[in-house]
Amino acid sequence: MPLVEPGATGAKTETEAVAPIKGGNPGQKRRLGLTFWLSAGWIFTLVFLALFRDILPIRDPDELGIRTREVAKFESPGRNACGGGDGQGRDMFARVVQGARPALILGLTVTIIGGILGSAVGVTSGYLRGKVDTVTTVFIDIALAFPGLVLLIAVRATFGNSMFVFIVLFSLTSIPGYARIVRGASFALSERDFVDAAAAMGATKRRIILRELAPNIALPVLSFAFIGFALVIVAEGGLAFIGLSLDETTWGKLIADGAGDIARHAHVALFPATVMFLTILAFNLVGDSMRALYSPREVATQRRLRVGAMADTGSGDEVLYIDDLFTALHTPNGDVHAVDGVSLSLKAGEALGLVGESGSGKTMILRSIVGAFALADVTRTGTVEVAGVDMLRAEPADIKRTLGTQIGMVSQNPLTALNPVRLIEHQITEPMLVHTSMSKSEARTRALELMQQVGIPAPERRLREYPHQLSGGMRQRVTIAIALANEPELLLADEPTTALDVTVQDQILRLLSDLQRDRKMAMVLVTHDLAVVKGFTDRVAIVYGGEVIESGPTEQIFSNPRHRYTVALIQSMPNLDLPSHSELTTIEGTPPSLVSPPRGCRFAARCPAAQDICNTTPPSTNEASEHWFRCHFPAGDDAEGAA
Amino acid sequence: MAGTGTAHLRHDVVLSVTELVVEFPARKKQVVHAVSGVSFDLDKGETLGIVGESGCGKTTTGRAIMQLESVTSGSIRLNGVDLAAEQGEQLRQARKAMQMIFQDPVSSLNPSRRVREIVREGIDIWGQTREGDVDAWVAEVMESVGLGDEDVADRRPHEFSGGQCQRINIARALVMEPDVLILDEPVSALDVSVQAQILNLLEGLKRQFGLTMLFISHDLSIVRYLSDRVMVMYLGQVCEIAETADLFSRPTHPYSRALLASIPGNTLGLPQASELISGELPSPLNPPSGCRFRTRCPHATDVCTSTEPELVEHEPGHWVACHHPSVNA
Ligand SMILES: Nc1ncnc2c1ncn2[C@@H]1O[C@H](COP(=O)(O)OP(=O)(O)OP(=O)(O)O)[C@@H](O)[C@H]1O
Ligand code: SF4
Ligand code: SF4
Ligand SMILES: [Mg+2]
Repeated sequence: MPLVEPGATGAKTETEAVAPIKGGNPGQKRRLGLTFWLSAGWIFTLVFLALFRDILPIRDPDELGIRTREVAKFESPGRNACGGGDGQGRDMFARVVQGARPALILGLTVTIIGGILGSAVGVTSGYLRGKVDTVTTVFIDIALAFPGLVLLIAVRATFGNSMFVFIVLFSLTSIPGYARIVRGASFALSERDFVDAAAAMGATKRRIILRELAPNIALPVLSFAFIGFALVIVAEGGLAFIGLSLDETTWGKLIADGAGDIARHAHVALFPATVMFLTILAFNLVGDSMRALYSPREVATQRRLRVGAMADTGSGDEVLYIDDLFTALHTPNGDVHAVDGVSLSLKAGEALGLVGESGSGKTMILRSIVGAFALADVTRTGTVEVAGVDMLRAEPADIKRTLGTQIGMVSQNPLTALNPVRLIEHQITEPMLVHTSMSKSEARTRALELMQQVGIPAPERRLREYPHQLSGGMRQRVTIAIALANEPELLLADEPTTALDVTVQDQILRLLSDLQRDRKMAMVLVTHDLAVVKGFTDRVAIVYGGEVIESGPTEQIFSNPRHRYTVALIQSMPNLDLPSHSELTTIEGTPPSLVSPPRGCRFAARCPAAQDICNTTPPSTNEASEHWFRCHFPAGDDAEGAA
Repeated sequence: MAGTGTAHLRHDVVLSVTELVVEFPARKKQVVHAVSGVSFDLDKGETLGIVGESGCGKTTTGRAIMQLESVTSGSIRLNGVDLAAEQGEQLRQARKAMQMIFQDPVSSLNPSRRVREIVREGIDIWGQTREGDVDAWVAEVMESVGLGDEDVADRRPHEFSGGQCQRINIARALVMEPDVLILDEPVSALDVSVQAQILNLLEGLKRQFGLTMLFISHDLSIVRYLSDRVMVMYLGQVCEIAETADLFSRPTHPYSRALLASIPGNTLGLPQASELISGELPSPLNPPSGCRFRTRCPHATDVCTSTEPELVEHEPGHWVACHHPSVNA
């Protein structure tokens, strides 16, 4: 184990160093917090004292208690000497300040030298890859396994124990740690398109490393440097304890000296130990706070679901009944009103398309039905009923049973939806074994049936395979089979074909649609692609800014769109009937903020037909009618007269 | 080499790709046949669309032209100069004349740099590339991609939406006045309404700057909107090349027909896609002999197994690589 190796500390692994690549939430300012400032203040004070020790009113650390106000031998900390006196009447405070200097010099130089050299090795190896990388990685591994203590004893015997020797030695042992972290980060970074983009511009390798990669690894390296700094201090303390430290007065030495008499005069060891402990803590905390700046995990807040007061219930024959649903995600940047007063209902055998732009809240509507929110602290109010069960207020056991037996989910990415290390067979039979009284062999027979129904050739063989052995389309068929396992009444499909190829997309949509009709299931099909909705749904709900702004039978929505957003959306689809190169209709501007949604119509800022009232008053609507919309000045009005 | 052919190539073009082969080593000494003998050319001011499903080699073709992948064999001639014969620094010089736009607009921008630096990157790398005032030129380009606002240049990529990021990428490429602009799925990460903005922008820039573009996409309706000619690829080979209108009105290769029939809505009057294509994409590690589409083609016969079809001119300017081309089958 090397003396100083930042990569080895606790949970700070290579993968985490990679975190900046996935990036925090853009546009979101992270604050550093009180711990950071307290820790930084401590470090600053320490540096200040160490720098200006000579001109500050601090006693001479070597003075044996002969000044006007004497420090007695072993005097306890107090008014006369704030750190107390040591066995020779020297002022402990002065001695600890004296010890701060070697600690800081050693820490700083080692961190800078080790950090820079290690980063250079790491970034080169991670970017160039190939043989360079293989060789470097082997060297790093060997260096990390090398016993640093043996090296130290050997070097010390030959070169003495001056500060210079320590710096060189500590720096050398810290290089592999930094190199490993930076290599991991650079390796992942260089897969990002901007590195290819720079290469495509004709940038040289050197330029790519210096201009493209280095700025992006600077922050992670800096945060590790603080932690590395703390490790240098720890290492010195440990060495001092076994009598191998520097000649100078160091904290480690002070502690070691005082430790002999710790039972009677605890303060002699405890005072420097406390200072050292706080310093190490401060460096670690600063490093951690900086890590939080780029680590996406820190956004995660506690998982909590809150549910609002009682509301209406459905009439009974709907499979899905949503009334006045509000879902708010409580985030550090304010409440995101992801679903804002949505009402929907769906009978058996009906397919509803939910269409809208990215971030409009389509997925959140689905998540609100099943109550699955990965990260955020969420409040749901209103009513969500599935097959008569109140999904917001029923007993947890009932909700769980409904989820397991009445709802089937098909997600966008079949690869992440499946467990890579479990056989397909187990993944299909699991919901049956958990939620029904089926035996293992019954479940297996049913799994085989399901595989045939979703059109997987050679199902016996496929059942004994793992997800990675299947193509994307086949995997999506498997997730459909899993969704159908318990014959659900409601199928929720979130962009089920976005990750698939064109010809496969057509097959999967047909399959879903056929199954839905044959089994008289209700289906919600979420998509951003209007063309997909056209052939496969009975009704459409257009989602914009967390609201459903228009809903009606699919044909009517396409033949007679009323809300201005729906009109614009339909017109902006590349249309095979128009000649190529003809100008497409666009929607200028960007969707509204869901943190502070506009007061009036949410589309007002982008709407070509907007008038004053649109900015001030939300359009009302009669949600009971078959085709409804929220618009003050709907399209098609002139032609038909007011509806 | 069959399955491909070069008879359709023209003279005096900006870019000419002949018998391009790109292979990647795979485990157990196997080889991924990503691109197997693809030939096409690009005339000045023309937009060629490349369509096909994932794994058909369209991205690899684009990246190979940009020298981002190493070419196994075949030639890439830019303005008559064979890039395969060039090496090191000279090859890097050729990049000045070609630029590329990638699929993920956000990931293509270095998050720690300002828009100004990003857009000027080419000039920083190459030094002054044109006569006259560079700043004015950069400003003009920014203006034409719709980023003319004063404060844009000092901001960083994360402050922009996906569509705006793609505009920044386009500006960065245009500043270099490329002879050829390669766009790899430039709008597939964007929303429908934003997609339309970027497509209109590209169409406008094409007219304003006389751009020559290679437009790669899996989305046929988008390719149709922007391209003058379209090339359909399947499993590393070319199936069909034709003028856009011809391809959409008279798709002739069985695979092209299946692809067009799969467009949601299927409004082109083709039979259902499931009647035109069956089965799964074979592994590019071990592509079928003869015609690579034969394992999924409803018209396949023995000759399809034994002999690779060559591109043949079916109608003027409409090239098809199939033993049994069908128009109305
Ligand atoms: N974990 C989260 N924390 C904070 N905000 C979130 C979280 N998940 C989603 N949001 C926000 O909720 C809103 C609705 O998101 P949702 O995922 O439902 O959109 P969507 O319509 O499904 O979009 P897409 O087409 O991109 O899938 C967005 O503004 C999104 O940024
Ligand atoms: S209410 Fe007004 S702003 Fe909203 S869509 Fe209708 S016309 Fe446009
Ligand atoms: S008919 Fe033969 S050559 Fe033509 S696509 Fe089908 S398999 Fe290939
Ligand atoms: Mg979604």
